[in-house]
Amino acid sequence: MPADLSADSVLSLILEQQIIESAEPVSVTTDLFALGLDSMAMMQLLLHIEDRFGIAIAPGEMTRDRFATAAALAEFLAGKQT
Amino acid sequence: MSPHDEYEVTVVGGGSAGVAAALAASRQGARTLLIERQQLLGGMGTNAMVHTFCGLFHPDVSQGPQWLNPGIPTELGTALMQRGGMEEPDLMGRVYVLRHRPADLASLTAELCAAEPHLTVLTGAEVTALSPGWTITLNDRLIHSRAVIDTTGDALLARLLGHSHWDLATSARLYRPAYVWSFQGLSAILDEPLRLHVAALIVRAVKAGALPAAALGTTLRASPTRGEVFVSTDLEAGGDHWDPLDLDQRLHLESEGRALAQAVWDFLRSSHPSFTTITPPVLPVHAGIRESARWRGDYVLSADDLIRSRRFEDEAALAGWPLEMRETARGPRFRYFDQPEPAGIPASCLRARSLPGMFFAGRCLSCDHEALASVRVMGTCLATGQAAGQMAAAFRP
Repeated sequence: MPADLSADSVLSLILEQQIIESAEPVSVTTDLFALGLDSMAMMQLLLHIEDRFGIAIAPGEMTRDRFATAAALAEFLAGKQT
Repeated sequence: MSPHDEYEVTVVGGGSAGVAAALAASRQGARTLLIERQQLLGGMGTNAMVHTFCGLFHPDVSQGPQWLNPGIPTELGTALMQRGGMEEPDLMGRVYVLRHRPADLASLTAELCAAEPHLTVLTGAEVTALSPGWTITLNDRLIHSRAVIDTTGDALLARLLGHSHWDLATSARLYRPAYVWSFQGLSAILDEPLRLHVAALIVRAVKAGALPAAALGTTLRASPTRGEVFVSTDLEAGGDHWDPLDLDQRLHLESEGRALAQAVWDFLRSSHPSFTTITPPVLPVHAGIRESARWRGDYVLSADDLIRSRRFEDEAALAGWPLEMRETARGPRFRYFDQPEPAGIPASCLRARSLPGMFFAGRCLSCDHEALASVRVMGTCLATGQAAGQMAAAFRP
């Protein structure tokens, strides 16, 4: 069964794994970079995406646009899954 | 006892806080001695190759970069920008950061100190004992001083005086150290796409077992010099058992850092065409320590004071850097002030009533663990050091 790749599930992963922590509420369209997402946090996120969704992201695919929000990341991952 | 061993102000520790303290005290006419255990001044900003000055600018970035603390922080920041050929600091997320070259900081701090007729600098010297009054024992001599400032970062003088004067967070909570090294010869611009590409390459290498898991804490930053790159890795450093005051653990940290630098360098050189021509690693004198022992002063600055931008009547300096917590090596957690307004650091965080003539500043001033996540940064250390220097110069028994 393919993993649930909704924007909400990606956001849950990001918050559960403390990739970012925020005193303010975070939605699927919140700019993650504004909340402190950096290359170090993205490395952790990459590992967790591979563990939970079974999707490996190639180095060339790691761009700011694809990681800017949970919604954008979910869309990118869903595209790789099909 | 030779008369040369008598001073009005003695500053122990020649990092950002200590240099600012020594300059401030000597510029007020006090006969001042600055003692440093390494041979270069500048502390973490030179010896640990920490290449970014944080806390120099007002937290409201909407007006562009505004110097936060007048005097030495502004003077030194401006001079570093000139030497590095930087026209503007970098806006990183919601804060301004000034990148510098460690060698520039080493030479600049030495020149500024050498220009002060009332200031003597003694490098390569270790303080081994202290008694109130104040008498300081160095490797090979005794120093008498009316006032003393502890800018050691590790509250060395508090630890020499006894347990009631200092605090240390539990091992699991201590902010993790960073190992920073550099190389030259990168044949591309280190822009964001390249940094993210390298981050993904490192993740793959760790998964494949080609790099140790510790490499996951690695970030690359461009130096002001073209083609030069700083590589910084936060290390778990023993995790729940980390003790920055333990010699064996410090030694282990250094060897882990060196081995990791070599492994990451080998990996970068063989994994990406822009890195095939890079020069071998330039290693730091030692790892960057973010937290160790702190003084217990008349007031203990709290995270709440900072987040609410609290101001004080006996204000000595301003803090503007967010709480940058690094309790793990998996990346920082930022807590910004509620409003983009600076918070005050009171003079009562830089002294203890029971110890007249003793002052402290920089990373070992009197604050709690959470507040330290903000006030430990080098720009704020310059400001608290300057304040302690002025207080010490004005002190009369």
